[in-house]
Amino acid sequence: MASRPANNQLDSPELGFAEIVRHHQSMVFSIALHFLADRSAAEELAQDVFLQLHRTLPSLKSEDHMKFWLRKVTAHRCIDYQRRRRAPQISLEDAPEPVASTHSADPFLERRVRQLIATLPEKPRMVVILRYQEDMSPEDIAQTLAMPLATVKSHLQRSLAILREKMTRTIGEVLI
Amino acid sequence: MNQPNEDMKRIDELMKTALRREEVPSGFAERVLARAEQRPAVTLEPERIPWFHFFSRPLVRWAAFTAVTASLIAGSLHYRNVRREQAKGEAAKQQLMLALHIAGSKLQLARSKVNGIQTSQPRRERETNRSRSKS
Amino acid sequence: MRSINQKSLLSVFLLLASPFLRAQEIKLPPDVEKLSSTAKETVEVKMDGPMLRWASKFLSAEDPDEQKAAKLVQSLKSIYVRNFEFDKEGAYSSAEVQTLRSQFSPPEWSRVVGVRSERDGENVDVYFRLENEKMAGIVIISAEPKELTFVNIVGPIEVDQLADLGGEFGIPRLKTKPSSNRVAKVEKGDHK
Repeated sequence: MASRPANNQLDSPELGFAEIVRHHQSMVFSIALHFLADRSAAEELAQDVFLQLHRTLPSLKSEDHMKFWLRKVTAHRCIDYQRRRRAPQISLEDAPEPVASTHSADPFLERRVRQLIATLPEKPRMVVILRYQEDMSPEDIAQTLAMPLATVKSHLQRSLAILREKMTRTIGEVLI
Repeated sequence: MNQPNEDMKRIDELMKTALRREEVPSGFAERVLARAEQRPAVTLEPERIPWFHFFSRPLVRWAAFTAVTASLIAGSLHYRNVRREQAKGEAAKQQLMLALHIAGSKLQLARSKVNGIQTSQPRRERETNRSRSKS
Repeated sequence: MRSINQKSLLSVFLLLASPFLRAQEIKLPPDVEKLSSTAKETVEVKMDGPMLRWASKFLSAEDPDEQKAAKLVQSLKSIYVRNFEFDKEGAYSSAEVQTLRSQFSPPEWSRVVGVRSERDGENVDVYFRLENEKMAGIVIISAEPKELTFVNIVGPIEVDQLADLGGEFGIPRLKTKPSSNRVAKVEKGDHK
């Protein structure tokens, strides 16, 4: 297996593309999966992101730059894909079942959470995913999505308030 | 008093667990690499006959240089003004969207509260109210 | 003499009518305004008609939210939003909010929503102003434990479309087996 460059610089875009894909595939795929709640669509989108990366690689200066680029492109592609598909808002009961985790403490709870997240509008949904999946700060999310910081915080706050209310109604006993 | 904070902590933890990264489908990287190999990473430009050989004459070169410089200066000033206006416009737009978003989210809050009150009424009481309002 | 009388009458009329004429220049009470010094974050957006029209030129036709916004603002006269976020609860008093609410009374204003939630401390009031039986303005006052928001929009506004911009969360009422026992427990539960 090719070893990753020890420093933060990308020595050569030709070498190690396979390694780059393997290193970042989970991140890209997971953002798409949590956003689209559709495994095959997520894989297709993730592949397209890496193909675009393959073309863009010479212009990326560092590992950090590439990570930022991957998150940004994945996020925007997800939002565009959703809008083109014009998926209607769905009820909780009809939300597609995401892949169940095999090593979670409470798969029912987590599945409900993912269903709830899937019903959020596009931008708040992506903000929530970047915050909790990627552990990004609101400032980084604002930069990635080209959104004002106040809007990011507003999205987070409102999404969590609504999710909290809905979660405590359905599973109040579990949380409280 | 601390209960809402405890709730939020639990929600936070639950969100992190629910949204943790997933394994890719098996063979994902291989499929990406296979598709990448089919497309060139860099598009090669076909060779062209240089058109600028005309400008090898000194006078022509100087005239072109002067014209280009003048238009660049004028253009860049205009461009700067346009960019400034655009930046101001973008900022105003963001402010507008922020204001509408805040207003909309508070209306949503009101709506969810009203819906919550309606749901929390026992079913019999709701039906009684409905039949009363119909009559 | 007649013209003086007419002028006097006009002055009196203007004096009496001034609260209504100034209705659109709603000012926050000083006690509320000073909250900005203690708030962790504040937002103030104030845009009049020309500014709204100009800003809406930069709204993208490809962004659904921005398209909705463009439709909403085209006949608005002004938007004013003031939002305070605090680190802790209890940064403002209910009396301060009541002073704010007291500005919006009949006949000019109708309170269409007034929610008080003891469970989570989130209180929301929505007021409409009608002119000739048409919507002429809306005020929203949202008092939450760590956040206070005041919104005043002047002009004919489509309330549903505005609410959509806050997020079409689309989370419906839970229809099936919501476990009424659980709901009852949460409702009764004392979170404070």
